[in-house]
Amino acid sequence: MSDELVLEMRGIRKEFPGVVANDDVSFDVRRGEVHALLGENGAGKSTLMNILYGLYRPDAGEIRLNGKPVLFGSASDAIEAGIGMVHQHFMLIPVMTVAENVVLGTEPVKDGVLLDEAAAEKRVADMAKTFKFAVEAGALVQDIGVGQQQRVEIMKALYRNADILILDEPTAVLTPQEALDLFEILRTLQREGISIVFISHKLNEVLEIADRITVLRRGKTIETVPRDGATERSLARAMVGRDVLLRVEKPPSQAGDVLLEVEDLWVSDDRGIEKVRGVSFEVRAGEIVGIAGVDGNGQTELIEALTGLRRAERGVIRVGGRKLHQSSARDVLDAGLGHIPEDRQRRGLVLEFSLAENIALHDYGEPPDSKWGWLFPGRLVERARRLIQEFDVRGGGPLTPAGALSGGNQQKVVAAREISRDPKALIAAQPTRGLDVGAIEYLHRRIVAERDEGRAILLVSLELDEIFSLSDRILVLYEGEIVGKHEGAVSEEQIGFEMVGLKEEAPA
Amino acid sequence: MSEPKKDLVESPEQAAETGTLAARLSLGQRAGGIAVPIVTVVLAFLLGGLVVLATGHNPLLAYRDIFDGAGLNWIFHPTTSTQALSAYNLTQTLLQSTTLIFTGLAVAFAFRCGMFNIGGEGQYIVGLVVANWIGVNFAGMSTLPHVLIAIIGATLAGAAWAGIAGVLKATTGAHEVISTIMLNWIAIYTATWLFGAGGPLQTTAPGQSTNPVSSDIAHTAELPVIWGAKGFQGLDIGFFIAIAALVVFWALINRTTLGFEVRAVGFNPDAAAYGGINVKKNLIRAMAISGAFAGLGGAVDMLGYLYHYGSLDVQNSAAGGVGFIGIAVALLGRNTAVGVFLGSLLFGGLIYGTTQGLSSSVIQPELASNVTLIIEGLVVLFIGADLLILYVWNSRKRLRRQPPAQAPAKATA
Amino acid sequence: MSAWSQSLDNPVSERLRDPATTGYVALGLGAFAAFLAIPPIEARSPAWPVAVGIVAIALGIWTATRGRRKLGYGAVVAGLLGIGLGILATRSGTGNLETAFDATLIDQTFGLATPLVFGAIAGMFSERSGVINIGLEGMMLMGAFFGVYGSDKGGSWVVGLLIGMASGGLLALVYAFFAIHLRSDQIVGGTAVNFLAVGITGYFFQLVYNGQVSGNVSTVPNVHISGLGNFLESSIGNLSLLTWASFALVILAYIVLFKTPIGLRIRACGEHPRAADTVGINVYVIRYCCVVLSGLLVAIGGVYLSLGPQGNGTFIFDMTSGKGFIALAAMIFGNWRPAGAFAAALLFGFSNALALKLQVYSPQASTLFAILPYVLTLVAVAGVIGRTVAPAADGKPYAKQ
Repeated sequence: MSDELVLEMRGIRKEFPGVVANDDVSFDVRRGEVHALLGENGAGKSTLMNILYGLYRPDAGEIRLNGKPVLFGSASDAIEAGIGMVHQHFMLIPVMTVAENVVLGTEPVKDGVLLDEAAAEKRVADMAKTFKFAVEAGALVQDIGVGQQQRVEIMKALYRNADILILDEPTAVLTPQEALDLFEILRTLQREGISIVFISHKLNEVLEIADRITVLRRGKTIETVPRDGATERSLARAMVGRDVLLRVEKPPSQAGDVLLEVEDLWVSDDRGIEKVRGVSFEVRAGEIVGIAGVDGNGQTELIEALTGLRRAERGVIRVGGRKLHQSSARDVLDAGLGHIPEDRQRRGLVLEFSLAENIALHDYGEPPDSKWGWLFPGRLVERARRLIQEFDVRGGGPLTPAGALSGGNQQKVVAAREISRDPKALIAAQPTRGLDVGAIEYLHRRIVAERDEGRAILLVSLELDEIFSLSDRILVLYEGEIVGKHEGAVSEEQIGFEMVGLKEEAPA
Repeated sequence: MSEPKKDLVESPEQAAETGTLAARLSLGQRAGGIAVPIVTVVLAFLLGGLVVLATGHNPLLAYRDIFDGAGLNWIFHPTTSTQALSAYNLTQTLLQSTTLIFTGLAVAFAFRCGMFNIGGEGQYIVGLVVANWIGVNFAGMSTLPHVLIAIIGATLAGAAWAGIAGVLKATTGAHEVISTIMLNWIAIYTATWLFGAGGPLQTTAPGQSTNPVSSDIAHTAELPVIWGAKGFQGLDIGFFIAIAALVVFWALINRTTLGFEVRAVGFNPDAAAYGGINVKKNLIRAMAISGAFAGLGGAVDMLGYLYHYGSLDVQNSAAGGVGFIGIAVALLGRNTAVGVFLGSLLFGGLIYGTTQGLSSSVIQPELASNVTLIIEGLVVLFIGADLLILYVWNSRKRLRRQPPAQAPAKATA
Repeated sequence: MSAWSQSLDNPVSERLRDPATTGYVALGLGAFAAFLAIPPIEARSPAWPVAVGIVAIALGIWTATRGRRKLGYGAVVAGLLGIGLGILATRSGTGNLETAFDATLIDQTFGLATPLVFGAIAGMFSERSGVINIGLEGMMLMGAFFGVYGSDKGGSWVVGLLIGMASGGLLALVYAFFAIHLRSDQIVGGTAVNFLAVGITGYFFQLVYNGQVSGNVSTVPNVHISGLGNFLESSIGNLSLLTWASFALVILAYIVLFKTPIGLRIRACGEHPRAADTVGINVYVIRYCCVVLSGLLVAIGGVYLSLGPQGNGTFIFDMTSGKGFIALAAMIFGNWRPAGAFAAALLFGFSNALALKLQVYSPQASTLFAILPYVLTLVAVAGVIGRTVAPAADGKPYAKQ
């Protein structure tokens, strides 16, 4: 590793409607180094790298490659310049072989017209051997493991002579063992003179592999430090920060009976990887339990299991004392569990339906909305009108299609529907994602109000502020396990540490 | 703010882009209201007229003759006597429209649930066959029960025929377009065999043993005629049954829990499932109801004016058969009851007006009927493309709904 | 590639133990049971088909209980059918049998399969690039009419072939514009294209020929091969030039699609267009070209219908009568691969030819036999014989970011 700078990004600014993703960010990479880009969700890491890879244009700032200023109009330009990117969502074709995927677009040819499969396989096999990838050139991508698929993506970049490799949250899809294998490979690549940008939010990994670390927070560069001298604590402090944020005024909770209970829950995702590992907790009437954690640590699967959209491998879920066994979404709803889903446009609302119809989405089959299968739209509209007023939904009336509303108002409709069903327990998953401040404030106040009505509320959020603002108790989810349980006063730092897997105690 | 979670192959933007079929078709409906279908039709007629013009005929005169052929000139000289040509033509147009109402409703209902029922033709034929069989046998009954049983039988048959495709889709994921097309041809060939020389349903009338046609239904199974003379294919009460079917369609879709579920599944199966709706059950149900409409159409036609059906008739239906025209009717009518009604009138007039009704020196019926097909094709093409919506509607409003899924993806880091 | 075909690399012993192997053998035995009773073997005792059929059923049950249920039940059905058909054949007179099952059956099979082969390969190119082409029926029809028109006005069948191809390609271009550029729903668009084709060809047929093509129109010649011996000469000694061309097309299609870089890129566009885009492949251009190509190819099939041995230079309204859809079915049945599509097209051609031959018994039988391709496709689509796997991005419009 030398001091020569292969890449410089200075003063980068990028704005999207409503949010400044990168604010005067500077970042540079030396030849042959592994430079980690560290930050929480929303810190601006991916945006910065997408700019580098030519997918976005920066609003301001400049990029220099080996000293020369460059401007990329597309990914092809970036690839040509020697920049390779391994995205979180792989760009691989499952039914084709490894070799075919790697050479696609720059295929070796024989006899002028025919595809030289043998040459392709040989080149890929050689590459695999040089870098110790342990991937067979002739294997189908759909048959190989995720770790190997990632290596195929890396090979794609290397095949196009990348000398800067960007890896976006590469360990998000890997098992711990696969992550170790990846680090080995990165070290090998380093030795070959390839510079690596490693985007992550996981402290331990970053300290393991990086030579230098740049921390981003809320779109700004906080610091760039060499690995020597950096500790998990110092990095965590830089990542999480000490900003004091908006808090909702709330009276202390009066907790009652246990209304939602989870015992030793294990849930796997579609690929069979255990995402929730032995989680147990309870939520009482009149309290808000917040589950904090970085995205990808099992929150989605936990919620899916609780709401009946996914079967748990083992464990017990009880709502209002009643055990839910292999339940469907319908059963869970009937048992008294309400759910404000993460992805309101895909799961929560039928955008083409009117507000009245969306509000009736669970209960349309029962009186007063319908009887013997006959719908009474008038009653739907009546109920919707009441709820629209109560929840201060703006942008339309009961007959307006849900798609015409702003995100905040859509979320209010979802909340209105769930809360009006008088559930015993309410799960709020990312309830304020993508909303403006006013809507956030309203929903927060509403959630607290429902708590005071005696409901048990489980809040799952990636926003620490939200967790702190609303929760009476905080649980921290890391890699599928509850690693921290806090009641009463706890510092943001402490939670932040636990969220990234740090076992140390933060200073009091 | 996190990346929306998707599996490894698909990216977030891709998923947000192409909504369900029902959503896209309804987008069109709300976007342009009545303007879009009107503009579509005008454009289609224009292009059809160009073809006519390019081959040396006067399109305006040709269209006027088609208008007369359809009996629409009756509006100018109304009379109840069907001795008048315009009145007679009008009854025939309405007869044709009756059939199209049923097949149009069939296609429209399936579209509401997000599925494309191309099998209207086969379901219609199945209805015809069953109605004929019931009509021919059981001659001893009095009229009302005989007619009712024939109608119910045909409706159930149509429902079952379409239900096969529904079940295949729900259980194996087989695409309903392929399965309904296959079922169409199976129905067509089976009917050809049934009515063919030596087939089980061939006519047993003396001296007709080589005629590949079915027996006539018993008089007790015939529907009463309300306008015109029975022997001369007068307009029967089937027209009112069709109107009733339109009302039933509207009620089912907009006033029942069944319709609520069907629409939810058509727009957003994920949200529907989350709301507790059984998606698979609804897919099957929607296809079955869709087929029921088409089968009912077959019954009404058989009992109303056809009275018998032959192998040759079956063969003729293969190309521009009523099931296929039903697709154009449904799309033009934006899958609504009113729209299907208007669309069936338009195409009914067009079809009759360019064939038997046409007495024209400007353009021969054979040419004119092909112009109809061209117009049909253009209508379906334009509607399928949301083409006019891009121009008629403010595109900003349309984009606003999709990027909310995209913007967070881009704004994450 | 199904798991079973991949296992062909495994040692023989392992393959024999795989239940799927037994399943396919059972399926074959079921067909063989019927085959026993017809010429050339022409076993006359019903015992033979029954015996073989029972073995097929038994092996089918064994397969089903070993986990491959759909395949096993399919074999059981094949065995039952084989017994039934075999018994039927043994009870029919040998004279009729020999009229029905002679060497010309093979000749007719190839002939009737020809338009299907063109259609299936055409559809395959389009769908492999990611665009569903339901409009094959219409494009084939265009080829049929404009082939006659071109041959008539141009004086030779070569001109007819070229004009026919061009008409199919043109219609395909229109469809491609709507499907790719405007991202319209492809099935609705394809259906529209079929309407248009019937209308356009019908209109011009009426206008130019007043409903009947008279006079001698130059037709596509047959290829005569002599000196092969009686059987071969009746079966393949007199096939149309276009039939031989279709064979060549299958081989060519295989090479292009699986052995050239362009074929790799086409398949990438159909499986994962975004991945293809990120490596610099122009998805739009490839899709356009493949759709137009499919129009050109299927139109050749149409030209065969009108200018080939069956049409002999005539055209009738809606001449294709569903062959385009059968070709689509053949493509699906063949799992979007050239060899599979070819085999499926032959199968459908065979059932068509058999239907015609069986008229020696009764016209009814032939009509019912005509149903067979459609039933087979239903079965295929429902996933009974392995799973048909369409290209992953088939039918989804692609929007560049």
